[in-house]
Amino acid sequence: MSIGREDVLHVAKLAELAVSDEELPKLTEQLGRIVDYVAQLNEVPAGEQAPPYLAGPDKVTLRPDVAAPVPLARPPADFAPEFSQGLFVVPRLGAMEDQ
Amino acid sequence: MSAVESAANAVREGRATAAVGAKEVASRLEKAAALNAALSWSAERLDAEASRVDGATPSERAKMPLAGVPIAVKDNIVTTEQPTTCGSRILEGYVSPFNATVINRLRAAGAMIACKANLDEFAMGSSTEHSAFGRVKHPDDPSRVPGGSSGGSAALVAAGVVPAALGSETGGSVRQPASFCGIVGIKPSYGRVSRYGLVAFGSSLDAVSTFGRTVDDAARVLAAMSGHDPLDATTIAQPPLVLDPPRRDLKGLTIGLPAEYFPRDLHQGVRAGLDRAIKAVKELGATIKEVSLPHTRYAVPTYYIIAPAEAAANLARYDGVRYGQRRVGPAGDLRALYQATRGHGFGAEVRRRILIGTYVLSSGYYDAYYRKAQQVRALLAEDFRRAFDTGCNMLLTPTTPTPAFKAGEKTEDPVAMYLADIFVCPVNLAGLPAVSFPVGRSEGLPLGAQLIAPNFAEAKMLSAAAALESAVDAAAEVR
Repeated sequence: MSIGREDVLHVAKLAELAVSDEELPKLTEQLGRIVDYVAQLNEVPAGEQAPPYLAGPDKVTLRPDVAAPVPLARPPADFAPEFSQGLFVVPRLGAMEDQ
Repeated sequence: MSAVESAANAVREGRATAAVGAKEVASRLEKAAALNAALSWSAERLDAEASRVDGATPSERAKMPLAGVPIAVKDNIVTTEQPTTCGSRILEGYVSPFNATVINRLRAAGAMIACKANLDEFAMGSSTEHSAFGRVKHPDDPSRVPGGSSGGSAALVAAGVVPAALGSETGGSVRQPASFCGIVGIKPSYGRVSRYGLVAFGSSLDAVSTFGRTVDDAARVLAAMSGHDPLDATTIAQPPLVLDPPRRDLKGLTIGLPAEYFPRDLHQGVRAGLDRAIKAVKELGATIKEVSLPHTRYAVPTYYIIAPAEAAANLARYDGVRYGQRRVGPAGDLRALYQATRGHGFGAEVRRRILIGTYVLSSGYYDAYYRKAQQVRALLAEDFRRAFDTGCNMLLTPTTPTPAFKAGEKTEDPVAMYLADIFVCPVNLAGLPAVSFPVGRSEGLPLGAQLIAPNFAEAKMLSAAAALESAVDAAAEVR
């Protein structure tokens, strides 16, 4: 069950990751090897089961759901790529809205 | 007495000042520049760290278990004073508006943050060659890698620049470089240490972990930052780790040797190092028991489905809007911004893992890969439970299948690189604590062994590791 050029382009689109034509052949070959390697898990019979593994405590203790300002060493305008009038600024949605 | 204890005692008792210690660290960081292990530090920053300790009252200082101890911090743990790059161009120049909980706790314990340490980009790698800011060199042989992904922290401890350092583990990223560099690396139980402020990679796996030149050095740092944190709901509601007094023997303990970690084709030097550790276990009075962890061979493929899947989700935030050096794509719209920012900002290994993670979570492949990996992860955790249920207090294994390899040896073959984690990543999949400690050298290169313990049995595990450390001559060549 290997992975092909079209799979890589499809997944790159899902991941919002630009992939150039030049890097595509090597990337496809490397991803194919990784996918072939991890596919060995199919050797484990589906009926072989253990209690599901859950990371962390049995019961997660949540803090009170109270809105409070997060203490920051500097304001968002200092670390946001673009910030104006209390808002994070992004380009127009344009092409995405057309799809 | 360990380096950390002795340095802290001297400052606490007024026989030394943090300011002098800070100047010495600055000088050592300068001399070690060729290792490329530190990404950001300054003498001024170190002076400010020292002032906080020296400016405390004697009674305040007396309560600081790490008074004046300089600690290097892997650059995926956020600090407000220095940049946090995660070894990535996408975060170049980013300075966090808050400190990680572990940073606040170490400072409260009197520690000085010495520098931010180089790493594989977003902690993805086993050699610290995948940093956007250049590879880290092994302190004993610059042509070799220090291991990864916490290779900068490991190299700084091994080179004697700092007595202890913070790294992070997702699949062995502290124990593996500890083994390659001939130092100690401790991975705590999942939930023992807060991850608030650790940049997320694999959220069901990540653990802030520690390095030291001795078990005691690394353990003291771990104890100081452990304990429940209301800002991280995955921490266990337990008090901080209390270390056991050092043991002189291992009487009454049963140490398991899992057959799958001692394959016939195991590197001869690694095998000889483990033989030396096993001999010491017997001489110290423990009982040896052979056990089996039958799903071990599936740990690396399981890890390389689960970790990339979690990484693909966690790294979605680096989009040029919330985080990341923004680049506007040719179409000029939001999607072009995402794709151009991420396409340009991430390096080769991070891109591979995001793509694999997205693939195994995508429609039509989720059951075949991700759900299957969760099934096998449960079986791997069950293997460990059964071994401990048969009476083993701990398991002893090699940390790595080989000593440190040459730079460039595995960079073009991702699967070969992933196999460097074969003995360390099962522990992360099961959330267990483990410690790697040096057991000798093969052709001049350090070798490591690891003890793996049941969940939250760190105190017993670390006292046993300290006893073994005293009984094994880590500087001697194995035969």
